[in-house]
Amino acid sequence: MAGIPHDHYEPKSGFERWLHRRLPVAGLLYDTLMIPTPKNLNWMWIWGIVLVFCLVLQIVTGIVLVMHYTPHVDLAFASVEHIMRNVNGGYMLRYLHANGASLFFVAVYLHIFRGLYYGSYKAPREVTWIIGMLIYLLMMATAFMGYVLPWGQMSFWGATVITGLFGAIPGVGETIQTWLLGGPAVDNATLNRFFSLHYLLPFVILGLVIVHIWAFHTTGNNNPTGVEVRRSSKEEAERDTLPFWPYFVIKDLFALALILVVFFAIVGFMPNYLGHADNYIPANPMVTPAHIVPEWYFLPFYAILRAFDGDVWLVQLVQFVTFGIVDAKFFGVLAMFGAILVLALAPWLDTSRVRSGRYRPMFKWWFWLLAADFMLLMWVGAMPAEGIYPYIALVGSAYWFAYFLVILPLLGVIEKPDPVPATIEEDFNAHYGAKATPAE
Amino acid sequence: MTLRTKTLTAALALTISAGGLAWAQDSTTVPMTAPADAPAAGAEGTGFVATPEAAEEAPATEAQPEAEATEAPAEEAPAEAEAPADEAAAEEAAPADEAAAGAEADAVGLSAGEESVVPVETTEAIPAVEDHARLEAGVEEAVDPGADEDAVDPYGGGTYYGHTEDVAFSFEGPFGRFDQFQLQRGLQVYTEVCAACHGMQYVPIRTLSDQNGPGLPENQVRAYAAELLPIFDPALGEERPRVPTDHFPTIEGAGMGPDLSVMAKARAGFHGPYGTGINQLVRGIGGPEYIYSLLAGYTGQEKEEAGTLYYGNTAFPGGWISMAPPLSDDRVTYEDGTPATVEQMSMDVAAFLMWTAEPKMMDRKQVGLVSVLFLILLTVLLYLTNKRLWAPHKNKLKH
Repeated sequence: MAGIPHDHYEPKSGFERWLHRRLPVAGLLYDTLMIPTPKNLNWMWIWGIVLVFCLVLQIVTGIVLVMHYTPHVDLAFASVEHIMRNVNGGYMLRYLHANGASLFFVAVYLHIFRGLYYGSYKAPREVTWIIGMLIYLLMMATAFMGYVLPWGQMSFWGATVITGLFGAIPGVGETIQTWLLGGPAVDNATLNRFFSLHYLLPFVILGLVIVHIWAFHTTGNNNPTGVEVRRSSKEEAERDTLPFWPYFVIKDLFALALILVVFFAIVGFMPNYLGHADNYIPANPMVTPAHIVPEWYFLPFYAILRAFDGDVWLVQLVQFVTFGIVDAKFFGVLAMFGAILVLALAPWLDTSRVRSGRYRPMFKWWFWLLAADFMLLMWVGAMPAEGIYPYIALVGSAYWFAYFLVILPLLGVIEKPDPVPATIEEDFNAHYGAKATPAE
Repeated sequence: MTLRTKTLTAALALTISAGGLAWAQDSTTVPMTAPADAPAAGAEGTGFVATPEAAEEAPATEAQPEAEATEAPAEEAPAEAEAPADEAAAEEAAPADEAAAGAEADAVGLSAGEESVVPVETTEAIPAVEDHARLEAGVEEAVDPGADEDAVDPYGGGTYYGHTEDVAFSFEGPFGRFDQFQLQRGLQVYTEVCAACHGMQYVPIRTLSDQNGPGLPENQVRAYAAELLPIFDPALGEERPRVPTDHFPTIEGAGMGPDLSVMAKARAGFHGPYGTGINQLVRGIGGPEYIYSLLAGYTGQEKEEAGTLYYGNTAFPGGWISMAPPLSDDRVTYEDGTPATVEQMSMDVAAFLMWTAEPKMMDRKQVGLVSVLFLILLTVLLYLTNKRLWAPHKNKLKH
């Protein structure tokens, strides 16, 4: 692997040499695990491990759940109850899987916002960022389709609303919607294809995760200073870094264990806390629930979707200019996908030469406002679209776009950054003092 | 690595494996409490309620005091709830005292932040918009009296969303356990009252003998199954009596109510401070509270609309429900001598329906507790390992 100079794998025994000449798998593992990692990483760099754990947890529990689940409109709800009542430990499998999705999204949002604050998306890590965004999109698709499988009321109506978004595309929308659903409405064909894709996509995610790791192992990790590891010699690099194993593995596992304490408390003591009561009512196409609310992790983007209704002058203007091709509904869909697109384009929208937000006095404020905006959108997304809520959603959505399209490009020009430490070692020593005599 | 680091690592490995073992065992073993198993030589009567025999024969080790302990908090609730009950009874005689009943309901209610509590008399003025819209939308709805019940809504607004009263059930909180005697009483209420119109198609009858459930002796369960509606057997091509491996009957059709298997989870009763729902941890999900509030929440008023009779109810969204009041004092006779007040029966059947909705709740809480304890130990060990590991590289910690 290119990048930071470090010791590579040396086969020692005869067997290792024999294998290494034929398949250098031990070398790959060694180089991956012993990769030099900036020693000043803080506690926001633990989410990667948490995410890997989530992916494995979801795949393992999911595979066992599939053994007992039946993807048919008449049997799906009953088969979930069968899992809850008759399968050994089935109630734990299902609650772990359902709440595991929430843990997955908690971790991915913190992971993304860490990247935004410390400028992890900037050159040369744009590819890592883009692959991360693809993983995030696939996660949303997988979670959405997984929520449909129990075939409760919220499953059915959620599927109806979300696939309806594609119906808003002018011209080809209805064709696409029918193709997605496998028929004119959400039915058995929909359930079957969602089940199939819900099983497939996690493995696509797994593949992308490997590419994601490959990418940032090539560029090296970012770190809280945003300063690169010195690469001119191995000695210098070693003063900036420590090997991933055991230093960061143990650190990350400690954080993971702490997070799992909370996770298992939720699974054990209030497993339906993040779910929706209506999903314990079997799907009924004849009865619409009073409020169709997506899962919490979709709420910020759901809020953006609903914010742009026909009363907003911008929507009216676009509708007028495009001769009605882009109507309010399609505008909302564009806004929702646009909100994720601007996030993905952050590497090219941010013009600042300083990577880490720690040394950007003005950026800090805008960043925390963005984080607050995200929470605001999440809250307003759960509220009914009436009264003051649409206005709040509109303001929140406007800031989301303004941050990426206006503030990030401008800040790089007008902001005067604070001095940045010359090396990672300097930053580390400023926190922990110069290295004492080595212990052993 | 120093010796201490190695010791810590070993301890870590041990913890992980021990935790794994404990978890594996949890999913298979039948948890602790001395069961009221009672092979019961004299109990082969067809009466399904095991209460008197079980109560006598239950090995008086742990089960007895525990049952008493868990019953204690539940007993406080009826005392609280008695006031509105009396009020409701008085109302039947003289339906003039609505305002007082409304005020009473407020007084017993949850704290202000929880839900919009609308006094009863107001509901009369507010048309039940949502319910009617849905009645018109669904063909099934028009004939299905209970199906238009909906979750109590956390959002304010013009409509009356119903008021759910908190009940201190024994099974709430991380250490909460079902009260076996209460589940048996609830089963009796379900069988003698609710079962006429409500099925429970997802609940296997055999689970009535679960030790973490009603814990009926197997012969009683067999006798009970045989008394339920017969089931069509495709192999025989005709109907046959139910056996414990069958499920409770499916009841559908005109005038029948919704299935009750998971009703306690399908109705979120309250949503906690500012809609966070965080009180689920200590006060349960609120579904049983909703069922209790609905059954004990009849105001005694009636009105006719489009040929259907509606009954005033403080818990039901909209304030009017098409299900006639199913319970009245002494509607059933409890064999353990518990006074069969409307509140008592409502509470018992609500607890029973929580069990049918979440039969593995006690197993789950045990797994949760064991997992949390092991993970705390693991966290501490990892913390110490991490600290020791990094110490040589941080000057703060002299090595």
